[in-house]
Amino acid sequence: MTAVPGPDGVVIEGLVKRYGDTVALAGLNLAARSGEILGIAGPNGAGKSTLVKVLAGEVTPDAGTITVQGRPWSPQLGASRIAIVHQEPQLFPNLTVAENLLAGREGSRGGRPRLAPADVDMLRETDLLPFADHLLGDLPLALQQRTEIARALVRNADVFLFDEPNSALTEDESAELFARMHTIADSGRVVFLVTHRLAELAAHADRVAMIVDGSCAMVLAPPELTEERIARELVVGRAAVTRDDRADSRRDAVPLLALTGWTHHRAKFVDVTMQLGRGDIVAVVGVEGSGGRELVRSVAGFERTHGDATLAGRPVRSGGDVAFVAADRADSLFDNLSVGENLYIRQGPAIRRRLGLLKRSAATRLARQARSDFLVKTASLDTPIRALSGGNQQKVAIAAALALAPPVVVLEEPTRGVDISSKAEIYRLLRGFADAGGAVLLYCTEDSEVFDVADRAVVISAGRVAGELDCTEFSDAEMLAERIALLTAAIPVVGGSTHQSTGDAA
Amino acid sequence: MTTNLVDQPVGHVADPADRERPTVAQFLRAFARVGGLMATVALVMVVFAAASDGLFLYPDNLLGLLRYMSTIAIIGLGLTVVLVVGEIDLSFANLYGLSAMSMAVAWINWGWPLWVAILVALAVAVLVGAFNAFFTSVVGIPSFIATLGSSTLIFGFTLLFSGAQRFAPAAPPPGRTMDAGEVEFFRGLSNQSLPFGVPMQVLWMIVIALLFWLLLSRSLFGFRLKAIGGNPVAARFARLPVRRYKFWAFCIAGLSAAVAALLDFSFIGSIQPDAGQALLFPTFAAVVIGGASLQGGRGSVAGTLLGALLLAVIANGLALLAAGSFAQQMFLGVVTIGAVVLDQLTRNWRRDR
Repeated sequence: MTAVPGPDGVVIEGLVKRYGDTVALAGLNLAARSGEILGIAGPNGAGKSTLVKVLAGEVTPDAGTITVQGRPWSPQLGASRIAIVHQEPQLFPNLTVAENLLAGREGSRGGRPRLAPADVDMLRETDLLPFADHLLGDLPLALQQRTEIARALVRNADVFLFDEPNSALTEDESAELFARMHTIADSGRVVFLVTHRLAELAAHADRVAMIVDGSCAMVLAPPELTEERIARELVVGRAAVTRDDRADSRRDAVPLLALTGWTHHRAKFVDVTMQLGRGDIVAVVGVEGSGGRELVRSVAGFERTHGDATLAGRPVRSGGDVAFVAADRADSLFDNLSVGENLYIRQGPAIRRRLGLLKRSAATRLARQARSDFLVKTASLDTPIRALSGGNQQKVAIAAALALAPPVVVLEEPTRGVDISSKAEIYRLLRGFADAGGAVLLYCTEDSEVFDVADRAVVISAGRVAGELDCTEFSDAEMLAERIALLTAAIPVVGGSTHQSTGDAA
Repeated sequence: MTTNLVDQPVGHVADPADRERPTVAQFLRAFARVGGLMATVALVMVVFAAASDGLFLYPDNLLGLLRYMSTIAIIGLGLTVVLVVGEIDLSFANLYGLSAMSMAVAWINWGWPLWVAILVALAVAVLVGAFNAFFTSVVGIPSFIATLGSSTLIFGFTLLFSGAQRFAPAAPPPGRTMDAGEVEFFRGLSNQSLPFGVPMQVLWMIVIALLFWLLLSRSLFGFRLKAIGGNPVAARFARLPVRRYKFWAFCIAGLSAAVAALLDFSFIGSIQPDAGQALLFPTFAAVVIGGASLQGGRGSVAGTLLGALLLAVIANGLALLAAGSFAQQMFLGVVTIGAVVLDQLTRNWRRDR
């Protein structure tokens, strides 16, 4: 390891990135010193992943400067000096470890590239030498990741950014990874660690930057750098959308949907037991990769599972019993259809005439009704769906599902990327649906959403239910978020899921 | 099934003036493709009329042109359905040969009754459609590959079972006499003139186009078909019957190729195994020029009819000018690529707006 980084480290000043009306980075300032591990924490949507993408050169910022070891950031610099280590290594699975190490540095002389002595040293140093001739795709994830690190080291990268690096690793593999991370930092390089796992930030980072709403809210350093403190800071200053009156919502919910021993066929979640009553809004809370997304999708019938799911005592028919709305509007709306058509596309017999003809009058009536019930702001029902604002598009997606009046609706992140007023309206609509006797199951990654809309929160971590919270017991969003963070962290972060990771790698 | 799950919001009463009227801009946008095509057809016709010293405009020539158009249009309408649902079918050209040949063998060689032989042809078409659908939406092979494979497969099969011969009801194999009534009836399916010398096949085209218009623009099937082609992922999440609809789309495409083949067989009076191969690119180009998107979710009966007309005009005009088959081949290549480029451009244009 021969990197001789300058004393400057990485300095980020006034970084701004907007996506349409959404501000992902709002003038972010951040300085990382050489030789330290700088943790980056923040709620979903705070701008963490945009920051990673900007550093990696995948996204061009609208304003701001980044200086790496005294030199301004440029695409060339980004490519050669900054190494991003992802959860899923982005390498060539069809090449050997040695070839992966060389790829991109073959030179222009033609012929088959050979390992230089420095490359062999690097393989030895990273304990990859025994695997040099193995196909990368045949190796476990941890070794693939280590190959990615070796690749970066051999081309002398001096900034390392680990993005949720160990979410799929076993305990031993994680420990090995963190040891390597410390070695890299000790050699005078800059290491960023982006992770949802607060315990690891507290244990391994020298300092932790809290990113909230696109800027760096504060930097925690010892002695304040504790897991509890990070959890608390994560939720400070987040405005709660008007919280509805949950006191009068029915607490005497009749059990409607019940899951027992509910297990994903690839063990993304294991042995989940859960109940959902009429009038209930239950949020499954978990970070990406926790299995929460798969859990709600499985209830809607889009994942293979073992175990029992019953609706009012009989097996669930995912076809008629559950309507599903995916998080991404690209997966729930039809771009080639109008607003009105999107509102009634899920309807069947209600819009069918004799001989299978489309009953336009009924369809238009349904669409009009849905538009006024769900307060969709559109010039006309014939307007192309793309012409609507994001919030209104999301309302259309949800309205189309609720209008079917199924016993259960399942929604993923129902207000992701939606403005605050649409958010409040969507929450009100879900509450109205529940009050009319429906059951709502949500997958949430944002704690504030859980507080604003859910009666109960089922916290899921590493594929297991870490705990269940009664949201009505919490008087403010911060307290709820803190409890969720602690519950998430309470599950042994890396242990206990050995079988799972082997299952996933297969 | 009402949506009164939520209290009606205060102050939002349905406004009587709030009619769902398409705006002028929307109308123009919808009309742009059809209008542009009409103008193109007119322009090309003028050019050919001038270049051929008016020969192009002779009634006999125009009527022949219409007959050729009807073949392309009938097959093309089936292909449109497959494109709307977001798939592609390259097997229709050889299916054209297979269905007419199986009908010919059953009727002429084996002496089966005419109506049974016609049913055999239609059944073969549905079977091939089901085959394509199975490999596309159950096995999960891209339809481009699946239908390219089935195309070659059925061509080989056609050659095999027919002995690579040509069949004509007027010239049955030695020792077999055809029922004169059946022969006359079959000939009359397509080879007779309506008033003003309009070929019977044009009437067939009009009837079939009406059926397709009902299917694509007025039925629940067509509406959902468009949604499935526009966003298959959302369609799956919305629980639309994606597989079933793709299955029907392939069967419809197969059936329309078979119908066109039988009508052509009736008109021409003979059929050989590779009869449909020359139709592959003209049909494909006509449908794409007509506005059906290779990315799925778009396509119309009017567009496909005009696309077929344009292709027929051009093929006829080039033949009149004695441009030669090599030039026509080159021209078809240019038109096919041009049509796809046009599709790509309009798609980008729509997205950028």
